[in-house]
Amino acid sequence: MTGDLLLFAFSAGLAIAFALAMVVQKTPVRSVLALVVTFFGMAVLAVMLAAPFIAAIIVIVYAGAILVLFLFVIMLLNLNEEAREKETRPVQRALGLVAALALGGLLLGVTLRAPAPPVGTPSAGPRIPLLDEIPVIGRLLFSDYLFAFEAVAVLLLAAAVGALILSKRRMD
Amino acid sequence: MSPATFDLLAAIAKIAVVWAITLAALLPNLVWMERRGAGLIQDRPGPNRVGPLGLFQALADVLKMFMKEDVTPLYVDKLLHTVAPAILLVPALTTFAVIPFGSSIPVLGREVKLVIADVNIGVLYVFALTSVGVYGLVLAGWASNNKYSLLGGLRSSAQIISYELSMGVSAVAVLVSAGSLRPSDVVAWQAANVWNCVPQVVGCIVFIVAAFAETNRVPFDLPEAEAELVAGYHTEYSAFKFGMFFMSEYANMIAASAMIVTLYFGGWSLPFVTFTGVWGGLLSMVVFWAKTLFFICVFIWVRWTLPRFRYDQLMNLGWKVLLPLSVLNLLVVAWIVATKGGA
Repeated sequence: MTGDLLLFAFSAGLAIAFALAMVVQKTPVRSVLALVVTFFGMAVLAVMLAAPFIAAIIVIVYAGAILVLFLFVIMLLNLNEEAREKETRPVQRALGLVAALALGGLLLGVTLRAPAPPVGTPSAGPRIPLLDEIPVIGRLLFSDYLFAFEAVAVLLLAAAVGALILSKRRMD
Repeated sequence: MSPATFDLLAAIAKIAVVWAITLAALLPNLVWMERRGAGLIQDRPGPNRVGPLGLFQALADVLKMFMKEDVTPLYVDKLLHTVAPAILLVPALTTFAVIPFGSSIPVLGREVKLVIADVNIGVLYVFALTSVGVYGLVLAGWASNNKYSLLGGLRSSAQIISYELSMGVSAVAVLVSAGSLRPSDVVAWQAANVWNCVPQVVGCIVFIVAAFAETNRVPFDLPEAEAELVAGYHTEYSAFKFGMFFMSEYANMIAASAMIVTLYFGGWSLPFVTFTGVWGGLLSMVVFWAKTLFFICVFIWVRWTLPRFRYDQLMNLGWKVLLPLSVLNLLVVAWIVATKGGA
């Protein structure tokens, strides 16, 4: 169990530290990379929750596709260093702090109210064979959540077509 | 010995075997094969001075890369410039974790499956690693602070994202017919039925062409097109950092060949042959690596035969030919599997 705990602490810490780095970092390219590391930390957490499929999807979709496109755009725009703000915007700063505190408080409250995990070490007994979650997810997507699934597909298609039209219009 | 210790030792032994084969046996000799093969195809001797038949040329090349001065240009992003080659090399080498390189060997009364990690998301894992490898190329291009490098990095990311789609869709057809994402199940299905390259010949061709694009090999080596971009993303690299780019190209080639063999050419299996016992297990390994070596030779053969594509041709091929073909292949396979009543 201590091994699992160490792994959890490491990957959760990694995810949080790099999420912070993403916000604080002044170079946009490095921010994107910090976010990539955060997603890797989250993928490890998903594996620890016995959901390796989700872990693979996080890496393929987020790290492998979306963030590469982010990087692509940032490089094309050639944003090297974020320009330093001249005015400090005191009101926004205070509001941001309040919002962050409220969100953190909410998350903390939910976590503390959650029922306590079962006591005792499950590792003492024989390890429960992992359920193959891929057929389960597939069946759910094409039965209970069919409408949502198709709606998302149509939405993505609409977005792709919209992007094409926008770029085409500029060219004409 | 407790089962846990046994599993740990078996895993370490398997990693040692796989890396010994890929890193020590295949990688250096591939460089020799590539250069001698180029010589053969272009009707010239190729490197033939170092050792018999020039066999020690790879050794000399590696030594040269170690001994050279490692120049870091003044205006590069030092951290990313250093990390980029490693980001490219590590995914290339870790792909082998899920590829079954043999059937199984009985050791101390237990059957040891010849695959390092027999996970149920194996094929997805390979695609995840491929998509992470892109960062190595893109970052090398960006961190070098050189317009040729940047263009090379951008080209490579656009190319890999485009071809990953058709590669993934054609692989999905294989997974649908095998009914599993586990590479060893895919191989077992092919051993029990027929190699996927026969019923899914379209998907197989699409996958192989996309694999050439994913590994940045000719005819898709636009990211390092020397006639236009000096050397593309690795223009500003020297000594061993350049060596790492060099190594990862060959490691990627080995990994891509191993994936082609696993998904379409029956992995370690041979038709009408069952591998049992220790010798059977070892023989199945020989079969797997022999098939892989064959596809590596195809990679080399194509490189010295075909000219480079133009960029618009590359994009047209990827989006207008390969992707529709792979989707069509998937639809046909899915329809057949569905009418048969599921795999």
